Amino acid sequence: MNFVTRLIRSEIIFYSLLSLPALWPLYPFFTGNYTVLADPTKYLLHHFGFWACLLLVTVLSFTPLKVLFPKLFFLTALNSQRRAVGVASFVYACIHLGFQFLHESGWPTLVHDLRKPFILIGVLAFLILTLLAATSFNAAVRWLGARTWKSMHRFAYLAAFLVAIHQALGRKIFPKQVIWIFLPLLILEIVRLIYRYKKKTVSAVVLS
Amino acid sequence: MNLRFNKDWQLSESLVTPEKEYRSRTRRDFIKTLGFGAAGALLLPNQSSAATEGFPSKLNPNYSGKELKVTPFNYVTSYNNFYEFGMDKGDPVTNSNQGWKTDPWTVEIRGLARNTGKFDVNALVRKVGGIEQRVYRHRCVEAWSMVIPWDGFQLSKLIALAEPTADAKYITFTSFEDSKNAVGQQDSNFGWPYIEGLRLDEAQNELAFMATGVFGKPLPNQNGAPLRLVTPWKYGFKGAKSIVLIEFTQEAPLNTWQRIRSDEYGFYANVNPKVDHPRWSQGSERVIGGGVFNGRQSTLMFNGYERQVASLYKGMDLKRYY
Repeated sequence: MNFVTRLIRSEIIFYSLLSLPALWPLYPFFTGNYTVLADPTKYLLHHFGFWACLLLVTVLSFTPLKVLFPKLFFLTALNSQRRAVGVASFVYACIHLGFQFLHESGWPTLVHDLRKPFILIGVLAFLILTLLAATSFNAAVRWLGARTWKSMHRFAYLAAFLVAIHQALGRKIFPKQVIWIFLPLLILEIVRLIYRYKKKTVSAVVLS
Repeated sequence: MNLRFNKDWQLSESLVTPEKEYRSRTRRDFIKTLGFGAAGALLLPNQSSAATEGFPSKLNPNYSGKELKVTPFNYVTSYNNFYEFGMDKGDPVTNSNQGWKTDPWTVEIRGLARNTGKFDVNALVRKVGGIEQRVYRHRCVEAWSMVIPWDGFQLSKLIALAEPTADAKYITFTSFEDSKNAVGQQDSNFGWPYIEGLRLDEAQNELAFMATGVFGKPLPNQNGAPLRLVTPWKYGFKGAKSIVLIEFTQEAPLNTWQRIRSDEYGFYANVNPKVDHPRWSQGSERVIGGGVFNGRQSTLMFNGYERQVASLYKGMDLKRYY
């Protein structure tokens, strides 16, 4: 139990875990997977976008999980690593955008494509993540004040919502992965809200 | 306009991937190269025994070009869309070779024509006078491109054989339906079978081609064995694969992608760098096999076949008829 907590809290191990998804796209390049090698930029673009999205959903699920299961020891440890996961999501989003740049061969197309909802929504989500990453330092929390900082970082939910739409628009046919990525988070958040509402009414009854 | 027509159609045998370059790559050829010869061929599953009639084919020098750099065989045969076998580019090569048989294969010709009926695909190839090889550009609507040496016959030969009546204005191609072997067809939301169509005058254009092979061999299953449509001036999805029915009609068919997403895909689907896809620009394309850093080139009007096909669309608003 302490061991798991220590593992999660160990920065080296946790950061290594977070960087693994950046390493394994190298694998098909060694094994000669022709489907990947045919259009490597697209493969890398999708891979990093997928992980940026997955890490964003992961970090957003930490708090509701902790509210629902306050006694689970490793959730406390995970919550202490929220910043690392959030920043990792931003870093993957940066790489995703970088590959979009390569994929479209430069700024003119990228700017031209801003008129397309699919691209615009993705860029908006990226801008939110940039703002949150830029204010992820302790100094930023002090500077903004904890209350302002907290309400500002609730924009992460908006970012997740935009990412879900971005992903849903990404294919010709609705991609089912959007459901299995975002539905669990949605359920968690709804349960968390119900839980909080009940707690409030209970304490209100007790107080009266 | 970046078109160099005088160079486009000059003879150059060197364009086609040298035989030995792709010979050593498939398992079948690997065994042959090892010296097993005929015995080796017998040991193999009938994976590429699709429509064997007419091979080996000869390159038609009128449909080739010096600047066309052929995409390596491995990319052509392991990166493509064939939704009958899955949503991802690597799905067809895996899922279409799990026991799905493309030999024997019957194609039905039906509708407003004098000579209708059912034909064995090899017999059909004999009837139209055999096959030839043509090197065509291939431009997917998803903004990637290849250069592919197809083997097959000009579609107009098949049309001449069928003798459509004066009422026939369109030609419809219907792909196979076999949800037992084609895992993608188990998703019924798609609305199978896959349907594509051409205006009859488009179909009679010299470029419209029925492929039975690629790289001088019968089509591998994943590329639409044993018979597929190739219209190089149109986006790739117009090229219906594994065709079982060719029908002459008076009305334009509702092609599959137009039915599913009419905001993104129309009937004509002509390659046009000036008409964007709702989600990306069509002004340029990624060359398959170009690597991470230098894989992009400008897209040409009608995919570089303006001289041959532009007259078909004279006076049409190509923004509206995308």
